Amino acid sequence: MLALLIQDPAKINYIEKPAPRPEVDAFGQLEKLASTFHDVDGLFYFTYAVCIFFFVLITGVLVFSCVKYRRKTFDQPPASNTTHNTPLEVVWTVIPLIIVMVMFAWGFAGSIDMTTVPYEASRNAYKASAKQWNWTFSYPNDAAKSYNEVWMRVGKPAQFTLESSDVLHAFYVPAMRVKRDIIPGRFQTVWFTPTDIGEYHLFCAEYCGENHSTMYARVHVVSEADYLKRPWDLWEDDTPEKAVKSAASLYSSLCSTCHSINGAVGVGPTWKGLFVKGPDGKITGKQRDVLVKGEKQTITVDDAYIMESVRSPDAKRAAEFPNGGMAVFPPDQLDDRRLKGIIEFMKSLAEK
Amino acid sequence: MTTNVPVIDSHHGTPATGKPNFLNCSSGLMSWAGTLDHKRIGVMYLVGTMIAFLCGGLFALLVRLHLWEPHGMLFSNADYNQIFTLHGAFMVFLFVIPAIPGSLGNMVLPLMLGAKDVALPRLNLLSFYLWLTGAILATLAIVLGGFDTGWTFYAPYSLYTNKAVVTIGLAIFVLGFSSIFTGLNFIVTVHKLRAPGLTWFRMPLFVWALYATSLLQVLATPVLGITVLLVAFERLYHIGIFDPRLGGDPVLFEHFFWFYSHPAVYIMVLPAFGIISELVSVHSRKPLFGYKLIAFSSIAIAIISFLVWGHHMFTSGQSTYAMFAFSFLTFFVAIPTAIKEFSWVATVWKGSIALNSPMLYTIAFLIIFAIGGLTGVILGALNVDIHLHDTYFVVAHFHYVMMGSIALAFFAGLHHWWPKMFGVMYDETLAKIACGIIFVGFNLTFLPQFIMGSRGMPRRYATYVPDFEAYHRASTIGAMVLGSGVALMVFYLVASLLSGKKAMQNQWGGVTLDWHTPTPPPLENFDHPPSVTTEVYDYSTLDLRTTQTPVS
Ligand code: HEC
Ligand SMILES: [Cu+2]
Ligand SMILES: [Cu+2]
Repeated sequence: MLALLIQDPAKINYIEKPAPRPEVDAFGQLEKLASTFHDVDGLFYFTYAVCIFFFVLITGVLVFSCVKYRRKTFDQPPASNTTHNTPLEVVWTVIPLIIVMVMFAWGFAGSIDMTTVPYEASRNAYKASAKQWNWTFSYPNDAAKSYNEVWMRVGKPAQFTLESSDVLHAFYVPAMRVKRDIIPGRFQTVWFTPTDIGEYHLFCAEYCGENHSTMYARVHVVSEADYLKRPWDLWEDDTPEKAVKSAASLYSSLCSTCHSINGAVGVGPTWKGLFVKGPDGKITGKQRDVLVKGEKQTITVDDAYIMESVRSPDAKRAAEFPNGGMAVFPPDQLDDRRLKGIIEFMKSLAEK
Repeated sequence: MTTNVPVIDSHHGTPATGKPNFLNCSSGLMSWAGTLDHKRIGVMYLVGTMIAFLCGGLFALLVRLHLWEPHGMLFSNADYNQIFTLHGAFMVFLFVIPAIPGSLGNMVLPLMLGAKDVALPRLNLLSFYLWLTGAILATLAIVLGGFDTGWTFYAPYSLYTNKAVVTIGLAIFVLGFSSIFTGLNFIVTVHKLRAPGLTWFRMPLFVWALYATSLLQVLATPVLGITVLLVAFERLYHIGIFDPRLGGDPVLFEHFFWFYSHPAVYIMVLPAFGIISELVSVHSRKPLFGYKLIAFSSIAIAIISFLVWGHHMFTSGQSTYAMFAFSFLTFFVAIPTAIKEFSWVATVWKGSIALNSPMLYTIAFLIIFAIGGLTGVILGALNVDIHLHDTYFVVAHFHYVMMGSIALAFFAGLHHWWPKMFGVMYDETLAKIACGIIFVGFNLTFLPQFIMGSRGMPRRYATYVPDFEAYHRASTIGAMVLGSGVALMVFYLVASLLSGKKAMQNQWGGVTLDWHTPTPPPLENFDHPPSVTTEVYDYSTLDLRTTQTPVS
């Protein structure tokens, strides 16, 4: 059952090139806040202080008693037999009650703030599509998409509409204090205002299967000027070489969690050998067994088959994967131009 | 071989003699496998749940070792996911829920009530066999491909993964019935089999706690049973209850799951509270401070605990009104819990405190539970929880409660009733050392997790951002220390059975009825049916000679 298999560290984005982190040293300090949700930190530190107070009180009395009233002879009676002290009991019921009600009201007010999307944010609307195990971002008023990286303007409130096409995920940017579960079949929204230029982690915080821990994206908060350069639109396909290069990086953010290019079988089949180079240097697709509604057929791999595998994978399933599991990429997440680039990339892998 | 001193006050029992006790009154495999004696069933539960605990602990060590490196040291991601799921499922369903009621509860409850046995001894044996069946099914699920859903089985992932989810679901279903039957049995026993004079407010607090727990077990567990059945049906027949592709709602699963699993937190923790109430009083030789308030707060907690499940779903997108109610009630639960903690400390205050090993475990509990409870308050705040939900902060919080408090209370109780049950004493020095190691190891393991979590380390991660490496490593070292402490404890406990010194008749000087039986108790517990004439925890009735006389 247990293959002793060590992760290839290079595949994990945040280990390969970790984002620079601001220093936080004090014990129990939160990740440095980079959004306007100050209430989260305020209430956290308040409850933290209350906790330390009660903790010191409780352990103090406890340890003091154990030292002072330790039983020294086997028949030593207790120093007191009191079992009631009404004023004391009222005090230790009422004071904590007041304190927790303050916490409740403060926390509730703060959460209303976090769930009510202001008008300005709704005019700056992003979309984050989560699927096993990557993120696709769409930008306000921009057709280009980006994968596992997103760029935002500093100081401008933004809203994210969240959607999932398979299982539960969660959108979590610790530095912004936002988290929301993403539920297939529903739209969820979060909003926040990034206040500091920098790079931030975006984690998937709801367990979603095998590569949950590598479902990671980086949030770039940039100045207005840098934003206008549209740094997410890196796609170039003027020449076949450029297309293959762009597609290679797309492969590593979108497809590499399931498909290898070195022959190893992962969650899905490897892409190695999908196309082969004939003696004359001509590239052709290999023969492949597929299941069409459970029936086995043999087909020749070609562009149309690849397109179909991505747009509606269950039409023809690779025979070794009778249960499917291929993530669907509709055109609004991966357009035809990019998909063609990926096909070029697959062909570039062909060997004699 | 008999002693001449009349070691137990006369109307509550007879002097210890070489008369047969429940351990040696009959022998052979069948005398155990078919026994109806609550004490023997308790011993079997003890052995079973301890084995489950050790397996779960082993999985935990593997998890911690793997996380030594940011990219994982031992397993592929898929295997890691199985290991942490196994850890959670074994610990929760096979150890934490059944351990205290099944073992200590079974052994002690009838003794405390002055009864010969539980009300329904056959049902009691059936409970144990259902537990065993559940354990076997869980092990079978590992063989059949394991399961990688986390112990929460969240849909729709649990519907799609090609692992043995149906088998483990069946295991949980069966374990649920084991738990329900135990609960039912205890409720009937408490109502029907109290000794004459043992009024409700003379019952020891462990009995109160088990009673409150039993109510929860009977009322909440069926929901879990139905939920896992629905998951199984959904997987097998694609009905469309939870699967969004068929029009189902995955959030409905979360509601069902937590509707059981939040009360389950109290199914786990209330018996622990009961043990601590008992031990704090006996080892301080002082009546419990605020007895009635503690008894009522157990019942209050049991009731409110049905109304707070939504606090596990603050990030799922519930309506504002639901968030309001769930957060409010969550804070409300904090109050009876705080009252208990304060009352225990007030009991210790000006007591006559014996710093023996059960008391040391109790003190460790009081400190750790203070942290576990207080960090729960942090998580109850709506906006703060949004940041901390599903991070290591939550992991640390519930380990402070489940491992640090419940397991430690279980160990405390085990050390407390061990001499009563087996008539032998373990090595006290080793016990104190082990308690120290466990305490240090535990805090070293989980304190760093609070820090990681508050800085954004999500849970259930097979690999992690290198920023967290130092904390993960500290935590792994802590886990190794904790593991060696537990290993030492198992060692001296087992050794005491083979070559332990004889225990005293009333090792710690308790006055509840469980200390009025011969040690170890005979088959039907009391030589003469006991009756109660004094208030509970009245140490003026204690005959100190019994604490100085070894069992024959
Ligand atoms: C969640 C894992 C996953 C991801 C991510 C994924 N795939 Fe797949 N893919 C699979 C599985 C499983 C199969 C086999 C089942 C099938 O054919 O439907 C598959 C099959 C395929 C096939 C058919 C291969 C063959 O050997 O016949 C192609 C082509 C393909 N995927 C392309 C892609 C592309 C392009 C991407 C990235 C944009 C991608 N996949 C991302 C899981 C994945
Ligand atoms: Cu995930
Ligand atoms: Cu809960």
